Amino acid sequence: MDLSEIKQLLLGNEPAFWSQLRGLTGQATAFEDLIVLSSMRKKAVARGLARPEGARQTLRLAVLGGYSLYPLHELLIHLLETAGISCEIFLGDYDNYVAEIMDADGALYRFQPQVVFLLPGAQRCRHSGALTDPRETVEAAAKAFAAQLTGFCNTLHERTPAEVLLGNFMLPARRDPGEFRSRTLASDWSFRKFVNLELGLTAPPFVRICDLEFLASRSGALAAEDARGWCESKQPCSPAFLVDVCREVAHLILGLRTPPKKLLALDLDNTLWGGVVADDGLEGIEIGDTSPRGEAFKAFQRYILSLKDRGVLLAVCSKNDHEKAVEPFEKHPEMVLKMKDFVSFKANWEPKSDNLRRIAAELGLGIDSFVFVDDNPAEIEIVRQFAPGVTTILLGSDPSDYAGQLKDCRMFEPRSITAEDARRTGQYLEEMERQSLLTSATDMDAYLESLAMEAVIRDFNPLDVPRLAQLINKSNQFNLTTRRRTEAEVQALIDHPGYVALSVRLEDRFGDHGLISIIIGCISGETLHVDTWLMSCRVLKRQVEETVLNELYCRARARGCTRIEGLYLATKKNDMVRDFYPRMGFQTRAVTTERGDYVLDLDAFQPIPTKIAIRDRK
Amino acid sequence: MNQADVIQRLQKIFDDIFLDAPTLTPELTAKDVPEWTSLIHISLLVAVEQEFQVRFRVGEVEATRNVGEFADLIARRASEK
Repeated sequence: MDLSEIKQLLLGNEPAFWSQLRGLTGQATAFEDLIVLSSMRKKAVARGLARPEGARQTLRLAVLGGYSLYPLHELLIHLLETAGISCEIFLGDYDNYVAEIMDADGALYRFQPQVVFLLPGAQRCRHSGALTDPRETVEAAAKAFAAQLTGFCNTLHERTPAEVLLGNFMLPARRDPGEFRSRTLASDWSFRKFVNLELGLTAPPFVRICDLEFLASRSGALAAEDARGWCESKQPCSPAFLVDVCREVAHLILGLRTPPKKLLALDLDNTLWGGVVADDGLEGIEIGDTSPRGEAFKAFQRYILSLKDRGVLLAVCSKNDHEKAVEPFEKHPEMVLKMKDFVSFKANWEPKSDNLRRIAAELGLGIDSFVFVDDNPAEIEIVRQFAPGVTTILLGSDPSDYAGQLKDCRMFEPRSITAEDARRTGQYLEEMERQSLLTSATDMDAYLESLAMEAVIRDFNPLDVPRLAQLINKSNQFNLTTRRRTEAEVQALIDHPGYVALSVRLEDRFGDHGLISIIIGCISGETLHVDTWLMSCRVLKRQVEETVLNELYCRARARGCTRIEGLYLATKKNDMVRDFYPRMGFQTRAVTTERGDYVLDLDAFQPIPTKIAIRDRK
Repeated sequence: MNQADVIQRLQKIFDDIFLDAPTLTPELTAKDVPEWTSLIHISLLVAVEQEFQVRFRVGEVEATRNVGEFADLIARRASEK
């Protein structure tokens, strides 16, 4: 990790040091980087570098254990300090925790800790008898060992109001005694496993387990051990694993002070299933056991359902037509999630930040208890900007990672799970019926501006033919006439004197949306007839339509036209553009349920201001 | 790799870790540098093991009395690979 910049900030007494410190501390994985950052923090305090105002909490934290707790406590304090918690610390002596806990008049209790982290030594967590002792004997010994530890926790709790974080035991990473390790409870491996289970299942509710067994199994038990560190300075583990332990303790402490999230809001297309239901149709979306991708989305849904069963509320927040969005839930046999699993279902074309606020208002929940999941960075960004209280998760590129990504987000970790939790969705659904809608608008213009969009509008060219034909034959929703064309027919339009055939690409600061809109105009006399106008719904409400119309106006003018005639042909799927031409300022000539004819007088037309810049026009 | 080579590479690590890094000489000890606390010392060792791709044996770093002896130890361990 490059720390030269933050070092300069510190040397220059720049207040920006603090936000940088927070950011780097969050990212750092290496022990030595965190130690250096911690030293810098202390120096900044010593130099009197002003910390930006913010709500800081204080915590009286005691760290006790069967190890040297230095530098463990340095790391821990640093993680808490950068998370907004100022610590006063009581540091136990090496392997002195029994005396410290038992001495009712001792320094520990005079310190009056609010949280105690107890990390007992693994060296004592072993069966003192023979490997061949009967299971009952060893089990009794393991239970007694665990009971002694929970007893210490009880004593602590009786004498202070402190919450107790209890470290359990790493399992031995060395192979000895081979296969036999799991055939007897008396091996260190089995004994510690049993003690860990016993601790978890019997510790009183004010105890939270800092699960070293889990952490080491996650990161690698062999790399977590440090025999040299133990011999030299009684270290509990390797420096790298110390970081994992301290991050976990900090997480548990912060978790005591921040409530878990309550609601998971989900996008639909390419989040809960593969593909776009409105374009690909019910049969075309990827969900279920028939394809690897379908399998992945199904596994994701299964995990989401398990969250619901432990009390997390689910909501849909999708840019879609409501009827089409609902269809898979009602009709697709492979869908795990059903309509009844959601307390709110927002599938419309409003900004997602507005929809999330509506959901919060309807349910009477704080929006800061929401987690929003989407595969589209632009949607994540609009929520970050306009509903900043919401925690957002941008899904990665592989749906088989989705469940893992959500499982690692740490937003839904319950302190306990009750039968009540499983009923929560039903309760909210009832409550909803009593609520009315609240709406609010966000500053859409500012959002669009912040996207820094650029469009490239070009005449059809041979390279684009496959993609053009694909879009022409696939697009259903934003498609005014739904006229299909073969690749050969598309090819024939290139440089055709009677046609204006345009492809539109859009980029924003998050990346390239690719070729997202097509317009084919047929020129006859002074009129440009719009034969085809279609657009991918991904870029709806981005002012692409307006930008395209401005461009079409220029092209029509250049060809000597005075008017543009638009045609709408109704299909089952293109209801969303029924009013498209009037919305764009066209005059209505004739309208029936099947079709609409519209005209735009170019002499009267004023180009529409948009937030999209047009690039390399040609 | 001789002592001087090692010290030259060590200097870079010190420059990264210390806010106000001392100029390394073979005679320099931790006591001479206020910023060279035991905490900084721990991160130095982790960084040195990474940079030189060595692993010190138990107790031997503690036995070195100054930068020169530490550099000799690094050179010795590095030459064993």
